[in-house]
Amino acid sequence: MKILVTVKLVPDTNAEKRIDPSTKRLVRTGVETVLNPFDEYAIEAALQLKEKLGPDTTVTVFSMTPDSSREVLRKALAMGVDDALVLSDPALEGSDVAVTGRAMAAALKKHGFDLVICGGLAEDGNTGAVPGALAEHLGVPGLTNAAKIEIADGKLRVERETDSGHQVVTAPLPAVLTVTMAVGEPRYPSLKGIMGAKKKSVALLAAADLGLDGPVGAAGAKTELLDIAAPPVRGKGQVVVAEDGPAGAKLIFDFLKAKKLI
Amino acid sequence: MRNVITFVEHKAGKTRKVTFELATEARRLADALGGKAQAVVLGEGASALAEQLKGYPLDLIGVSDDPEVDRFLLDPAIDYLEAVAKGAGPSVVLVPNTLQGRDVAGRLAARLGAGLTSDVTDIKVEGGRVGCVSPKLGGSTITTCAFKDAEYGVVTVRPNSFTAQAGGGGAEVVSLEKPGGKAYLMVVESDVEESSGELGLEEAPVVISGGRGLGGPEPFSTLLGPLAQALGGTVGASRAAADAGWVPYSLQIGQTGKTVSPPLYIAVGISGAIQHKVGMRSAGTIVAVNKDGAAPIADFADLLVVGDAFQIIPELTKLIREAQAVHA
Repeated sequence: MKILVTVKLVPDTNAEKRIDPSTKRLVRTGVETVLNPFDEYAIEAALQLKEKLGPDTTVTVFSMTPDSSREVLRKALAMGVDDALVLSDPALEGSDVAVTGRAMAAALKKHGFDLVICGGLAEDGNTGAVPGALAEHLGVPGLTNAAKIEIADGKLRVERETDSGHQVVTAPLPAVLTVTMAVGEPRYPSLKGIMGAKKKSVALLAAADLGLDGPVGAAGAKTELLDIAAPPVRGKGQVVVAEDGPAGAKLIFDFLKAKKLI
Repeated sequence: MRNVITFVEHKAGKTRKVTFELATEARRLADALGGKAQAVVLGEGASALAEQLKGYPLDLIGVSDDPEVDRFLLDPAIDYLEAVAKGAGPSVVLVPNTLQGRDVAGRLAARLGAGLTSDVTDIKVEGGRVGCVSPKLGGSTITTCAFKDAEYGVVTVRPNSFTAQAGGGGAEVVSLEKPGGKAYLMVVESDVEESSGELGLEEAPVVISGGRGLGGPEPFSTLLGPLAQALGGTVGASRAAADAGWVPYSLQIGQTGKTVSPPLYIAVGISGAIQHKVGMRSAGTIVAVNKDGAAPIADFADLLVVGDAFQIIPELTKLIREAQAVHA
């Protein structure tokens, strides 16, 4: 069985980010590029499936990313992923969700898969719409927010989280899945894994390899960025030491009252 | 793009506040574009909900009680929406930015070859162009994106971004024709509601969150629960509390959790590290209770009360209850 895990490389989510007001671009200095945290859960889920299904199962990590970031994928390889596939092309710069969905789907199709696993959301764009777009472009079932995954007889059985509870959903393979944090904490790369990752293959794809219809990159995008700005400044408020419980409660009560929040 | 279509998320006819926020915004947007505002309600309970939606300023409500919408995951709903969008012509489709909404948006946008903007908190129309404002990179930047060369634009809207306003009803309710000829593959075998009656975190007007400082699972129900109830809000948590297993991950706010923008956010025993901040920095008013006056949350809370939450919160709950009793 062939499992593909899609990952996005994003600016370190633990770093405080700011926009340079003159260039309107993210200040990259001191901000590392990392695997999108949600996608590490997708990798974990894939590796767990491989352990269950046996050595005939391969796990490939896939990313559409500028070439300069591709070494970040070594972490996925060190965690135990077999190999990596990178779609990297200056022509893809400026791609929006629409182009990204098309291009990624074409790359996944070219590589071939029984199962595509994605994280639920990217920490930078906060869109969460790409997995659905992939399922649509690939014409396969798209099951999101899987907490438990079972595969038997070419059929997928997934326990998925909903906004108000949970569902059990079945679907045939091939399929696209997204996972939640309930699949389990992503494993840390072992020393052996880190050493082994250096020898694993990272294959490169360019946009021209995909035979895409229509323009890609900014030219193919259905949206355009009009403005980028820093959020309204949230200044330091009052800091008051409460003498005791009732005094602290009164402070908050009066504050909320003054703000007409109660 | 002239018309506006809003997808109504519900379960057996029971919906959330965001539905009415979107219905109201659909009207405003349709007026700005010179088009019509229509809602689409699908699945069990749709007809009953359509009656409720008539109290909002829509032109048209498309309805189908088709049980297949609930029996098969997503696919039938996307087929209905595609048919409605194609019938309406160039349109903006509004979808709530929820787990289901994001699935619908991604699928529908790909199906229609549409542009997609996500987690949108404001929509501006200038010269016929639709500009969508959304916080990105954990709220550290605010982007405005416009649709271009697209007949259709799909927008996922963050709950609590628009104010729901009833009135101006008189919408025509029309039965939607069943899209035919498809074998659906994703079968819902069972569907369990866990939090019936409770507000979703993303749309609660008040969120009371607890963190490491609470020391265990009990205070979430015994300390924060009563305050949330008194304020008509709901309880959330920091990642530390979710990781410790004190609360389910579904309550986690911040990085790898949910993003909320309630008018009032109360953080109890939460230091306010960046991973939490990104999930709540756009709240209207932030109040914090913490033992440490130098905790990072001091830098962005409107009020930080330094003291013992276990003493302060019950007293605060009491004060609010008393004030409510006087008004009642």
